[in-house]
Amino acid sequence: MLLVQQLVNSIMLGSVYVTVAVAFTLTIGILNFLNFTIPTLFMLAGMMGWALSYYGLPFGLSGPMPWPLALAVGVVLAILASLLVERFTFRYLKTRYGDSTEHAIPLVSSLGFLLILENLVRIGYGTEERRFVGPDADLTLNVGGLFIRVPQLISLFVTVLIVIFLTMLIRRTRIGRGLRAIAENPDAANILGVDTKRVVPVVFMLTGLLCGLAGALFAVNYGEVSPLMGEDIGTKAIAGMVIGGLGSIWGAVIGGLIVGVLELMTVHFFGADTVQVVVWGALLLTLIAYPSGLLGHNAIGKGKL
Amino acid sequence: MSGYMSGILAILAINIIFAYGIYLSVATGQLNLGGAGFQAVGAYAAAYLSATYGFPVFLTLLTGLLLSGVFGFAIALPILRTRGVYLVLATFAFAEVIAGALLNSETFGGAMGISVPGYVEWYVPVIIAAFVTLLVFYIMSTRFGLNMRAIHDDEEVSDLMGVPVRKVKVIAFSMGAALAGLSGGLYAHTFTFVEVQGFNAILSIYVLLYVLLGGTQTAWGPLAGATFFTLLPEALRDLLPSTKTFLVSLFGDAENVAPPDESWRFVILGVLTVLMMVFRPEGLITRPMLAHLRLRKPGARAAGGEVLE
Amino acid sequence: MNAALPLLSVNAVSKSFGGLQVISDVSFDVERGSRIALIGPNGAGKTTIFNLISGVYTPDSGSISFDGADITAVPSRKRIGLGLARSFQNIRLMPHLSVVENIMLGQQSNATHLADMALPLLGRSRSRREAEDLLARMGLGTFPGDVVATLPYGIRKKIEVVRALAAKPKLLMLDEPAAGLNPAETASLRDFLITISETGTTILIVEHDMGLVRSLCEEAVVLNFGSKIYEGSTRHVQDDPQVLEAYLGSRHVKDHVVAGGEHA
Repeated sequence: MLLVQQLVNSIMLGSVYVTVAVAFTLTIGILNFLNFTIPTLFMLAGMMGWALSYYGLPFGLSGPMPWPLALAVGVVLAILASLLVERFTFRYLKTRYGDSTEHAIPLVSSLGFLLILENLVRIGYGTEERRFVGPDADLTLNVGGLFIRVPQLISLFVTVLIVIFLTMLIRRTRIGRGLRAIAENPDAANILGVDTKRVVPVVFMLTGLLCGLAGALFAVNYGEVSPLMGEDIGTKAIAGMVIGGLGSIWGAVIGGLIVGVLELMTVHFFGADTVQVVVWGALLLTLIAYPSGLLGHNAIGKGKL
Repeated sequence: MSGYMSGILAILAINIIFAYGIYLSVATGQLNLGGAGFQAVGAYAAAYLSATYGFPVFLTLLTGLLLSGVFGFAIALPILRTRGVYLVLATFAFAEVIAGALLNSETFGGAMGISVPGYVEWYVPVIIAAFVTLLVFYIMSTRFGLNMRAIHDDEEVSDLMGVPVRKVKVIAFSMGAALAGLSGGLYAHTFTFVEVQGFNAILSIYVLLYVLLGGTQTAWGPLAGATFFTLLPEALRDLLPSTKTFLVSLFGDAENVAPPDESWRFVILGVLTVLMMVFRPEGLITRPMLAHLRLRKPGARAAGGEVLE
Repeated sequence: MNAALPLLSVNAVSKSFGGLQVISDVSFDVERGSRIALIGPNGAGKTTIFNLISGVYTPDSGSISFDGADITAVPSRKRIGLGLARSFQNIRLMPHLSVVENIMLGQQSNATHLADMALPLLGRSRSRREAEDLLARMGLGTFPGDVVATLPYGIRKKIEVVRALAAKPKLLMLDEPAAGLNPAETASLRDFLITISETGTTILIVEHDMGLVRSLCEEAVVLNFGSKIYEGSTRHVQDDPQVLEAYLGSRHVKDHVVAGGEHA
């Protein structure tokens, strides 16, 4: 029974990773871009949600906000930050020769943004863990002896909705067709009349939205935020993405859940200290032995041709 | 020489060796985001052998170098079948696995770190850095170096030209890992203490940025990048507080200004990175720039080999 | 090797990408010392044929022999060493290498020993001297040290040809070497290629400029929609009804063909 309870907990935990892993896999699958700002956007939504509900707007422009409003503003900030990243990684990108370092320019820029955003939040609000006072996080259902926390159940539900929404968006809509065309071949997409200047920002809006929602849900669920919260989640989301296969949304879902299970099983059997080694080790092994992951196709990350 | 100056020279030398380690893989078109992991391997190998068995310094350095090179080889051989982002992820994961393993290992002191008995003076890393710099310049001047740069520019055409692409990539990456390990060993012996928390993801990011912002077209790039970014924090140490005091004084009260947060240094590095990627993605030092400098100095044309064209 | 055999023979080669048949059952021979043109409308599969011969792609069926040996399964990297060098339609020089370094890269296949890898290529090293001599002979001796990215298009186009030559190939395959050149440059390219050919190098060329094709090559192979529709003298190529149809008809179907994609 304890093991089953652990399994339920891991799925709940995994659902947080899933959302962020989907954000990673979306940018890699469509733009061939490993976006290192993703964990920072997650952190930004959570920290700003906390800061706005605790202090209100900076410079005393407003009093403390009610927590749902604060989190909503946090999500919007994450989207805006993501669009800012788009400006500087893709909009002004000068690729002249198409060599390997040029393909890395967005990645390097995103490392720059990681440093900027994370340290600005540290400067503004310090590095300590902060208590986020939201709804009662301990509201619990008892289903046949298994304990399920209601906010976690809601998170899981939201995650599932997001993934279904994304799949529909990519498969069924005009924007989705554009996204798929860019994923296939950016130059051909241009020739076929896809306006990359309008479609690429959509990827970043979705990234910001996904990370923002994940950050907000995390704050509600765990009641604690810190400027470092993105690093841990980012790690596990990347691992989930790789295990599921780069560029595959459903792969990221499965991978994220696997990492959740892996983590709680590791804690259960070996203790919390070894989680980092196990999760990164699983990632490394997948990359070495089976780089296309569970559902990926090996075409991602090739650079060109 | 003052302790402050010799300390800066030593860390500058270590950073230059470290940067060249990353450069060898980046110049071949492979981003290595696991620098901290390779440096940690070298540092802990040196620290452990020195503390536990009392090995002489040159032997601990050599072991660290070789061990790190072997790790690099073991990562590169399978991963370099694939391209691009896979290597970035694998190197990053490698560094995290190494850090996690060291943190959980009692043999290596866990979170407590290890004290290193063998101390070396500042000139040891400086001399080795000079040697490594010459070595990298030499490598880049050979056909092997030409192949590295060709692969960086166009892997497919390099292959059609007969370049053994995968072999060159694996060798360059492993040599780079070995140099990163060497820098770690020197770090251990210079500061006589290693703790795993120092070899974190930020360090990996930092050293990769040194190299890319310095420029990867020539071996001058990492030298410039490492020097600039090692000395920048030292310059900012005084500049940032005085800037803050100045800004506050514009608004009146300049008394008792708290020193600015350390994090500003990272913000500045981040802003520089983003701006460089927009305006000069090829890095600070480029080949056309060097050619331009040579033309302006008439006497210099006969000096170096490269200019005898 | 047997001198009577053709230098290159393409035997019933087919290739498709994702269900799209790009090359179907194409065969032709290239005799030693000849100059052959491979022509056809956009998207006919000319560059794909080049990619198949140079080993970028493997044929789905059929075989390719070179100099008397079947090379269908020989990895692309090894083919230049056998004497098979090519240029690319869209210039694929290494942009950050200097002119002479690009040429030295072309000599790669002659550098097989460890010592060739470890010797500096500076100053008056043998490789550099050979590369500079070659450049000088081809009238490109004035800027060996310039980084390629800084040079004008016409010159880069020529350097591509010279780079392929640096491998001392038996067969030189050129993919639209005259595209974007003015008439004077085209004429000098033609003279240049004839000189190369007279030293014994066989030339296979993809070209749209029919003037150049006729003055350079005696024979042509014409492709349309991935199939061979003509093989024979360049003098009579325009009288062939199928070729006429392919070129005149091609305007109406051009959009379709571009969307179908000729892989560069």
